[in-house]
Amino acid sequence: MTTATIGGAQSALPELLIPALIRGKTVYEDSEKGLVSFGGRGGAASFRGPNPSGIVQALPLRDPGELADVHRLRFDEIVDYLDELGRHLVLDHNEHLQQALEYSAGWSDMTTPLVRSSFLQLPALFAPDSVRQLADAIGAPYLDGWVERRMDDGRVASIRAMGARTVHVIAGNSPVIAALSILRNAVARSDAIIKTPSNDPLSALAVARTMADMAPDHPITRHVSVAYWKGGDAEFESTLYQPRNVEKIIAWGGFASVTHVLRYVQPGLELISLDPKRSATIIGPEAFESEDTVRDVALRLATDIGALNQLGCVNARVVYVASGLDTNGLGRLNALGEAVYQQLQGLPESLSTPAKTFDPELRAHIEALRASPDWYRIYGGSDGRGAIICSQLDEPVEFHRSLSGRVANLVPIDDPATAVTAVNAYTQTIGIYPEQLKTRLRDALALHGAQRLVSLGYAADPNVALPQDAIEPMRRMVKWIVDEQCDPNRVTPLWDSQ
Amino acid sequence: MTFSDTDVQTFAATPSKFFGHSWYAMQHLPAKELGMLQLAALRMRLAELRDAIPVLTTMADETGIGALTSVDDVVPLLFQHSVYKSYPLALLVKNRFTELTRWLDRLTTHDLSGVDVSACDSIDSWLDVLDDQTDLRVAHTSGTSGMMSFLPRAKDEWDQMFSAIRCGLFQYSDPTGTGGRHDGEYFNLIWPLYRYGRSAIMRVPQMGLPHLLGSEDHLHTLRPGRMSSDSMFLAGRLRAAAARGEVDQLEINPALRARKDQFEREQREMAETMPVFIDEIVDKLRGQRIWVLATWNILYAIAQAGLSKGLSRLFAPDSLVSTGGGAKGAVVPDDWEHLVREFTGVDHIQHMYVMSEITALNKMCEYGRYHFEPWIIPFVLDPADGRPLPREGEQIGRAAVFDLLPSSYWGGFISGDEVAASFEQCACGRTTAHLDRRIQRYSEKQNGDDKITCLASEEAHRAALEFLTARLA
Repeated sequence: MTTATIGGAQSALPELLIPALIRGKTVYEDSEKGLVSFGGRGGAASFRGPNPSGIVQALPLRDPGELADVHRLRFDEIVDYLDELGRHLVLDHNEHLQQALEYSAGWSDMTTPLVRSSFLQLPALFAPDSVRQLADAIGAPYLDGWVERRMDDGRVASIRAMGARTVHVIAGNSPVIAALSILRNAVARSDAIIKTPSNDPLSALAVARTMADMAPDHPITRHVSVAYWKGGDAEFESTLYQPRNVEKIIAWGGFASVTHVLRYVQPGLELISLDPKRSATIIGPEAFESEDTVRDVALRLATDIGALNQLGCVNARVVYVASGLDTNGLGRLNALGEAVYQQLQGLPESLSTPAKTFDPELRAHIEALRASPDWYRIYGGSDGRGAIICSQLDEPVEFHRSLSGRVANLVPIDDPATAVTAVNAYTQTIGIYPEQLKTRLRDALALHGAQRLVSLGYAADPNVALPQDAIEPMRRMVKWIVDEQCDPNRVTPLWDSQ
Repeated sequence: MTFSDTDVQTFAATPSKFFGHSWYAMQHLPAKELGMLQLAALRMRLAELRDAIPVLTTMADETGIGALTSVDDVVPLLFQHSVYKSYPLALLVKNRFTELTRWLDRLTTHDLSGVDVSACDSIDSWLDVLDDQTDLRVAHTSGTSGMMSFLPRAKDEWDQMFSAIRCGLFQYSDPTGTGGRHDGEYFNLIWPLYRYGRSAIMRVPQMGLPHLLGSEDHLHTLRPGRMSSDSMFLAGRLRAAAARGEVDQLEINPALRARKDQFEREQREMAETMPVFIDEIVDKLRGQRIWVLATWNILYAIAQAGLSKGLSRLFAPDSLVSTGGGAKGAVVPDDWEHLVREFTGVDHIQHMYVMSEITALNKMCEYGRYHFEPWIIPFVLDPADGRPLPREGEQIGRAAVFDLLPSSYWGGFISGDEVAASFEQCACGRTTAHLDRRIQRYSEKQNGDDKITCLASEEAHRAALEFLTARLA
């Protein structure tokens, strides 16, 4: 038995063999190409799996006509299937999830309590109401069949949202992304090849294996495949990413993963990019109306910063606070910063924990700022429990792009409207307090590039049925097909035009 | 063996005097004695500076460090290298030099409170005032990350630095230390850069001149003027902004507008001068003893240009070719050292591990190991928690140093470099701690290379000038 080194310490867990799952079948090893070892990210634990070049031919759905089976299902049958799947995704009774949780300690950026609480959300994600709401973006009738629409020019159109053969390059910062991808794929009646990330190679597999155990021959089960290959493996990707194999690629995550995929985009192969984003926070002067409001804002802000250990792009990082820049204003800002730090420490373990790793470069930056107390006040930061950096001028710290591990930068401003200029196309979520300020700023923020405005405290609690990254993913995932019926008696024929 | 307070003071502040101007002596003090001297000098510096440098005072109060029982006890008081760039960037961009001076004042024993910089409207003009009105000769870094560090080194410290460095340069090819001090001898410095400037590198010709060159006649520069600190700063910011797709949002200091002609001239000169320069040095310095200090790519370009004209073994064999900075990720042609030796006529290239923040050129020995000079105490820190690794055997981790020479600023700082250091005696016989030649920046290791290294600074500077002249047009 080999042992894996995890976080510098010897772990008792053996190097895991992670199979691929191809259309409901578990593939441990290709007879010709055998197994290969993959290094985990950043020196984390490694694992073994089937040689990607041995499975690349088996992954794609060669005959697009084979998607007919899922298109014969009624939407209610899909809801029922997913409902049953959700009932099987109960951590206490699901050995695949249990294994994923156990091994996540070696390679996830999340701590074990956070992975556990993510897994505990899964049944609710697959519940009928949740699935129906997700489908509302398209409309169940369009998924179930052809919907007639009479046009002013006399033609009768029938429109249907059809599934597509899709590769999902998913991110590993939260296991929910894996489950969400499988859920969306089922609703869209598509065929999914899920490329797992090296920091979460097991979550998608655990859900897919649960499907295979539950209903091995069901069309939904047979249209999900899960495999790991190293992102950017040109030989593998140039074979798979061809219009004859796949029609869409949904790429989550970092700059590198999206740019890898870009070179394969061509007519017939579309990219849906859920690309890297940053989030911001704007807090109006109302936060300082009373001790109660300060306490409330501090708890909400701590939640936006600390939830799931600030691993998501939705988390708060740079926080513009309309405290004012005079001495009193800075005093208010610093008091808020200290209160936020205290609240961070009190967040429940299922929501936030001390970070697994405290980026040493970030730690060094924070240490250096202590040399400039005229410009920066720092609460925390000497250990992995997080830090609040209060700028004493209206500029974020120079390293604000690398804030992580529950570290945020509070930036004082006079007028909340000035925060609008800090927003650009890379800005995803903006948490705002109070509500009236959000309403007042929302047009301007949206024009500058912001994509999601949310009440302070809810940044890290997105609803998956709503638009994401300024698109409606469900509507992008399907193919919108139209059948036009033109009766020459009602639609003026082109051949009759003068 | 015991050392008096005077010995300790002499060792730290004037190492060339302490070691009798012998590089051999510097590198062959028995390790145990060197360790005692270093600890005594460290205690002295802590006692002198603890309450004289406000940033250090705050740190010492917070960490509660008292007496030092070993050199490792000072580690909690080492500055992060980014301390020297811990000011808000807006102060530089918006010409808030009074506040920037107040920030710098907290890092030095020199009193800057009376210096009036309210009229300054650029980094160059700010450093003009500091040069004129104080004993500081501030050195800045190349600003590769978009931020520029400012190190408040005083004139007398530069003097002692080059007095000590002189020993290592003139006695470099003297393995037994029997060749004497080489008093009265000087190099002709071939300097393929500007004659003046305020970066740590660009200070070398002027600050080193009395010790290494003897007179202005011995300084042969590619360009006559001064390298603008403002355009270097802009080069770094431009590169950082380009990496983020934010060039459009880059603010330009309005004061630079008035210097548009100067930047245009510099831009023209950058394109033109190298071939002329090579002709000039060939003409003037053939057969003479020269010193050239440059990154490998510049040395390589000069050698290629010279060899293509049929010139080889051009200078006296006791000339010196020095380089530092490593390859920094670039692909280095296999034959570069060979070509440079062939063109210049030296029998080997002197490699050095240098940092803007310290006063020593730590030279590579015959066994390929960088040796620290004795007034530098090296540390290797655990990259995860910052604690010192044992001072024995070979240790891999983050490099930190305490530079004992300066008395007006705190010499202890933590670098961004990953090194493999050995505290055992080197096969070459030197007794100082030494490093493996493979040195890597943690930031590059983690995030990929989006920084300008000193290698690319010429190119970055050219890009900045292009950007400036276009924007100001």
